[in-house]
Amino acid sequence: MSVIKKLSQMFSGSSSQEKEAVETSGGSDQPAEPKNSFADQPPVQRRVIQPAVLIEQAEAVGPSDQILIKAEPSRDNGQCKFMVNRPLFEGHSWLFSNFEEAAESPLAEALFSVDSVETVLVHDSTLVVTKTGAKGLPDWEALAKLVGGALRKLLEAGTDLMAKDLIDRIPAEEVVRDEIQKVIDTEVNPGVAGHGGRITLTTVTGNTVTIEMGGGCQGCSAADLTLKQGIHSAFRKAVPYVGAIYDETDHAGGLNPYYR
Amino acid sequence: MPKLNQFKVEIETGEKGTALPVHFTINNHKLALEETGGGVGPGETFTGGFEIRSFAHSLTLVGPETGQWDIRKIKVEFDCEDNPPYSAVFGELTLDETTEVNIWQDPPLPTWDV
Repeated sequence: MSVIKKLSQMFSGSSSQEKEAVETSGGSDQPAEPKNSFADQPPVQRRVIQPAVLIEQAEAVGPSDQILIKAEPSRDNGQCKFMVNRPLFEGHSWLFSNFEEAAESPLAEALFSVDSVETVLVHDSTLVVTKTGAKGLPDWEALAKLVGGALRKLLEAGTDLMAKDLIDRIPAEEVVRDEIQKVIDTEVNPGVAGHGGRITLTTVTGNTVTIEMGGGCQGCSAADLTLKQGIHSAFRKAVPYVGAIYDETDHAGGLNPYYR
Repeated sequence: MPKLNQFKVEIETGEKGTALPVHFTINNHKLALEETGGGVGPGETFTGGFEIRSFAHSLTLVGPETGQWDIRKIKVEFDCEDNPPYSAVFGELTLDETTEVNIWQDPPLPTWDV
């Protein structure tokens, strides 16, 4: 008996005799339905509530006269977040995708001179660095020390961290909102609609954008891929001054997230 | 995601209680909590747990088959492979026959000063 048949029987709850009876009843116009089949008793579909978390992790870095920098690698080890108790780019965010884009921004220039740094995202008092090569290598522990050291050196020197004209390149919030909404309406949503998905722009703060993924995108195991390779690329291509892009979707909530 | 060896749960019931047993789902498989103690009546505290020894894609506490269950607080202690034990505390909510609540929390990310 095939594994598929075995699994099918496990889920239907019917005995092998019942199955055999069904299988050998071919020839009649209306094959007999097995008793207690999975189809007869559909599972109750419950809505998943996302509860409020009462105890969160303590604040990463607090106010202090000393420069405090805390490193936090992502779960997949592909990027590392650096939380600093000093403003780096107050009220705004900026992504440096390569060394050329770092020109005249001392912070990005210093970080790109560190081996293996691939991209640098600066947002308020946070820095997110991705590294080249496989996600597991090189180890963040060593790389984070170099990134932290370069950042600390600039902060101690008190020099400007970002190019002076960067702020001038960022239009008003309303313009950012309108342009991103246009990309969502004309490019992103028609693209994800084929999978029953939809993207909603929730907030724009400065040039930092937060979206929510709905419909088939919510809870989908490919949501991260859609976000990074589809949405990020579309936003950045059409709106080059967009900074950080966050997804605030509750992928575990709802009626039936795909990954469950 | 890490391998979840086992978890323990402590549930404080509010004004509306429910009846035992208390069920949870792991990756959409519904099971009753084991090694239970206490109760789920109004104002009571219930404890239970389960030895999972598998990868948790989702972990939920299932609402009652009928009526409503007011929950004041849920504390979950996780024992995951290759991670130190950690816990999560969730706030007030009400469950019924149409709902379940997500009680899974990923282990906290490691952080260090640089």
